[in-house]
Amino acid sequence: MLVSLKWLKDYVDIDLSVQELAGHLTMAGLEVDAIEEKKPAFSGVVVAKILSIRPHPDADKLVLCDVTTGDQVHPIVCGAKNIKDGDVVPLAKVGAKIPGGYTIKLSKIRGVQSEGMLCSEQELAIGDDASGIMLLPDDLALGKDLGEALDLTDIIFDIGVTPNRPDCLSIVGIAREVAAITGNKLRFPSVRFAESDEDITRLTSVEILAPDLCPRYTARIIKNVAIKPSPLWMRLRLDAVGLRAINNAVDVTNFVMMETGQPLHAFDYRFLEEGRIVVRRSKPGEVFISLDEKERVLRDDTLMICDGQKPVAIGGIMGGHNSEVKDDTETILLESAYFNPVSIRRSSKWLQMSTDAAFRFERGIDPHGQVRALDRAAQLLAEISGGKICKNAIDQCPKTIEKIEDISLRIKKVGDTLGTKIESEDIIRMLKSIEIEVKSGRDDTLLVTPPTFRVDLTREIDIIEEVARLYGYDRIPVAMPAVSATLTTEKNGDALAERISNILNGCGYSEVINYSFVTSKAVDLLGLDLADQRRNPVKIANPLTEDQSVMRTTMVYSLLETMRKNANAGSFNLKIFEMGRVYLNQGAGKLPEERICLGCLLTGVRYEDIWHFKDLQGDFYDLKGVLENIFEDLKISDVKYVSDVAEPFLHPGKACSLVLGGERIGYLGEVHPNVLDAMDVKNPATVCEIDLERLTANKGSIGYKDFPRFPSSSRDVAVLIDVEQEAETIIAAVREIDEELLEKVSIFDVYGGERIPEGKKSIGLRFCYRSGDHTVTDEEVNQVHDRLVKHIVALKSVSVR
Amino acid sequence: MTNDLEVLLAKADAELQTLQTEEELLSLRTKYLGRKGQLTALLRNIAVIPKERRADFGKRSNEIKDILSDRIDVALKEARNRKRSNDLLRQRIDVTLPGRRVHYGRLHPVTQMRREISAIFSRLGFTVVEGPEVELDYYNFEALNIPADHPARDMQATFYIEDGIVLRTHTSPVQVRKMEKMRPPVKIISPGRVYRHDSDVSHTPMFHQIEGLLVDRGVTFADLKGVLTYFFKEVFGSETVLRFRPSFFPFTEPSAEVDIRCMLCGGCGCRVCGQSGWIEVLGSGMVDPAVFKYVDYDPEEVSGFAFGLGIDRIALLKYGISDLRLLFENDQRFLEQF
Ligand SMILES: [Zn+2]
Repeated sequence: MLVSLKWLKDYVDIDLSVQELAGHLTMAGLEVDAIEEKKPAFSGVVVAKILSIRPHPDADKLVLCDVTTGDQVHPIVCGAKNIKDGDVVPLAKVGAKIPGGYTIKLSKIRGVQSEGMLCSEQELAIGDDASGIMLLPDDLALGKDLGEALDLTDIIFDIGVTPNRPDCLSIVGIAREVAAITGNKLRFPSVRFAESDEDITRLTSVEILAPDLCPRYTARIIKNVAIKPSPLWMRLRLDAVGLRAINNAVDVTNFVMMETGQPLHAFDYRFLEEGRIVVRRSKPGEVFISLDEKERVLRDDTLMICDGQKPVAIGGIMGGHNSEVKDDTETILLESAYFNPVSIRRSSKWLQMSTDAAFRFERGIDPHGQVRALDRAAQLLAEISGGKICKNAIDQCPKTIEKIEDISLRIKKVGDTLGTKIESEDIIRMLKSIEIEVKSGRDDTLLVTPPTFRVDLTREIDIIEEVARLYGYDRIPVAMPAVSATLTTEKNGDALAERISNILNGCGYSEVINYSFVTSKAVDLLGLDLADQRRNPVKIANPLTEDQSVMRTTMVYSLLETMRKNANAGSFNLKIFEMGRVYLNQGAGKLPEERICLGCLLTGVRYEDIWHFKDLQGDFYDLKGVLENIFEDLKISDVKYVSDVAEPFLHPGKACSLVLGGERIGYLGEVHPNVLDAMDVKNPATVCEIDLERLTANKGSIGYKDFPRFPSSSRDVAVLIDVEQEAETIIAAVREIDEELLEKVSIFDVYGGERIPEGKKSIGLRFCYRSGDHTVTDEEVNQVHDRLVKHIVALKSVSVR
Repeated sequence: MTNDLEVLLAKADAELQTLQTEEELLSLRTKYLGRKGQLTALLRNIAVIPKERRADFGKRSNEIKDILSDRIDVALKEARNRKRSNDLLRQRIDVTLPGRRVHYGRLHPVTQMRREISAIFSRLGFTVVEGPEVELDYYNFEALNIPADHPARDMQATFYIEDGIVLRTHTSPVQVRKMEKMRPPVKIISPGRVYRHDSDVSHTPMFHQIEGLLVDRGVTFADLKGVLTYFFKEVFGSETVLRFRPSFFPFTEPSAEVDIRCMLCGGCGCRVCGQSGWIEVLGSGMVDPAVFKYVDYDPEEVSGFAFGLGIDRIALLKYGISDLRLLFENDQRFLEQF
């Protein structure tokens, strides 16, 4: 909320510097977000008086004026029609700067010299009036700087008022806090006015048909008003707090709202059919045109202010186009009411109309502040419009607004909560400074009654917070909790994730963090099957952009997006991983399954291209090696790489599922060229995605084995197998035979092409033999080795090379 | 004849001085001391030496053999050393060429910051717990004392999934879920992704929070100040100046916003702190009794405090990152700086 320092000083004396005041407000919970110095938008403009006006010899539309600044007379050429001898006006002298970047120069207009320019309000950015020269009060000192003469400087605080403090959504509310801070007295403007003999009840009546939504409605009628722009002082006040001046009637309602926090509305009485007010709920489908000339179709739960026949305002939110104050309005009905906060909030949300009035009503205004604000507005309106206030106000209060109960405040509880003892005299003094009434209580307990405008104070803890706030958080000591020992058996899920990311880092992979939401098109770009559960993501009802409209069901899309963005930035070699969640829809009304996954992507060269390394492109086996490292570190030895289960977004020949204990825990493979094309990615990439929870659930433990004392003996053999056949089948066949001496069989070479028959590939196998109790001899090794080789060769389409 | 021996020694010595290489020295040795060498040749003439001088001659010739042999050995050793030195120098490499690095990956700055923060609270005995990101309205708002139609909902622009389900706007729902399941004392932190319907220079629709909760008998606001003061001094150094000021969160009362004195300007005011000299880093407060009611704790028996801080924001301050949005663009040039 914007708060003008000058306005604030109308209600409380302030002897602090601007910075000090801002600091005190912030430390009292009214955070000053910004301080703006308001200055005139011009310089070199002074107060001048017109001595004489005569026609311009060569131009019908111009006149020549002599104006005085007290000690000097300036000839001025002017085109305005609204001036006469003796008027006091703003004179922009030669050298003056006025808004729009203009500097006034000595000029000749149609042959006549002009030593400056007389200005309109608009030309000086003081107001909107561009119809003629701004007419100033007669009592301003001639020659005085206009900014000083009109006192156009001010300090504007932008205060972040928290939702619990609707009482601070007004200048008086802030002044009350300042009064508590400084110890100075709050001055509420006295409201005094004369009433005419005509009683309001002869002109209107108020009938409340929805007392739950409108517990109180007060009204006054002011007759014989002259609608015109408000006086400058009021317009400046409104401008300072960011409100636009409209006319005196509307400005008064806004002024009083800013002053007191009570929103008001002014109706043109002549448009109120049957001259009366009826407060009721809207009818479903009811159509209403609001002040902003927009058509609103209503539900059945919006509070409407009606006349004898039709709605004239959406209660507490916005007035109607059909009853707004016009230039020729003569009689005004002023409304000051209390509306149900929840009802106003629902309606304003649903209608998407957030107005200053609705903002205050939904947070809760002072339920006892209606009449005071109404009278204050009536007084001001009468003063500036020449209107006559009818006798008496209507005050319909069909439903008593809940009275604030007394609250017990235990002195000990204050100390126990804050961790420091505060004396009860101090507590009483502090509470009184913010108008909380302290009734006598027992020594250890106070009975307090908050003022009606403090709708946030209903419980003991609310009062304790006020004590803490006024005492000063900085005065509360710093302690360390003496907490009971807690024994937790909670598994630190982070520890394994940390281990895995350490390995990934060591393998050259950097961590990325992608948004959890992706475009709804992701599932199509990845070509997921229609039956795939991942095609049915959790949708965000109100996404910011289409690109962030559904919760991701796979990590791959995000990783490819990251790759694309980096390629656009010129980075083509990427090794990245992300640990995060995918969100699997479990149907309407249910929370999705959130699965923690590891996703990796490799594109470009295996090693950074520098003088030692050749430009070797990373591929499937690079990423597979990384995963093997991770599995080994977690002591998971039995992960199977199964090529027959394909992901549609992976290369059909260069991909596999990762299977652990019969369960699929992820996949690894090169990205399908179709997907690369669809995502506008140029280079090949290899990706993997692993369900981290299922992986870590299978974590093995370290079991140390003594290393062998006797030397091993190894034999190599090369076999020819079909190109399509997986090498793993040979290894598996070897393992079928339980040869005690065989320690390990591994693949050390794979070769195809020259000297190898068409459709075949050569696999180099290395058999390592060892005994735990003696040094193996050539004969025993040869025997076992021959048996194994025979067994392999017996397999279909395997031959020794 | 003895004179011949001395002449031979002098000659060999003189020759030795002129030789450099191992080969030359070896042939010198053969030339004088070999089986067909000059010393042997002289010895063969022993017969012509008068008997009484034979012993002297023999003794001297042995001495000369030893002297010469030692001198050649020394020269040989020097020659070999010289040769190796020369050889090694010829193998000289260019040490300024870059090392053979296997590129290593980096952790995302948010992860680094999260680990650091978690470690500090772990030292204080807090346990890490997690909760769902797609969350029930009940846990995200209602049980945190933010009823439907309450203006406090405006404080957290929310992504909605469907009626009653939202993307969590903070990690606070985890504290309710945890308290439902256990009795005090409770001492937890909960890091994770959170979501707000907000996107501009200083807001990303997703960011990271760490929620902390401590509930036990006799926990006070002073304890809250103590724990958070310790925490920030651990993160930003012991010189860090903190400020607690009143604020409002529906689930804590009294509530406090924590600012630290701007480390860039030292409190004088700069662009980073918006000229105020202070940087807002954390929201906290004493758990509101209304929240305890939801989880069936007795606010007369126990009290506690809760706090929530943005990991990303702390990372920005600590690492001097200028723009929050960089964190989620994952540009390699960004990632490789951590
Ligand atoms: Zn600063």
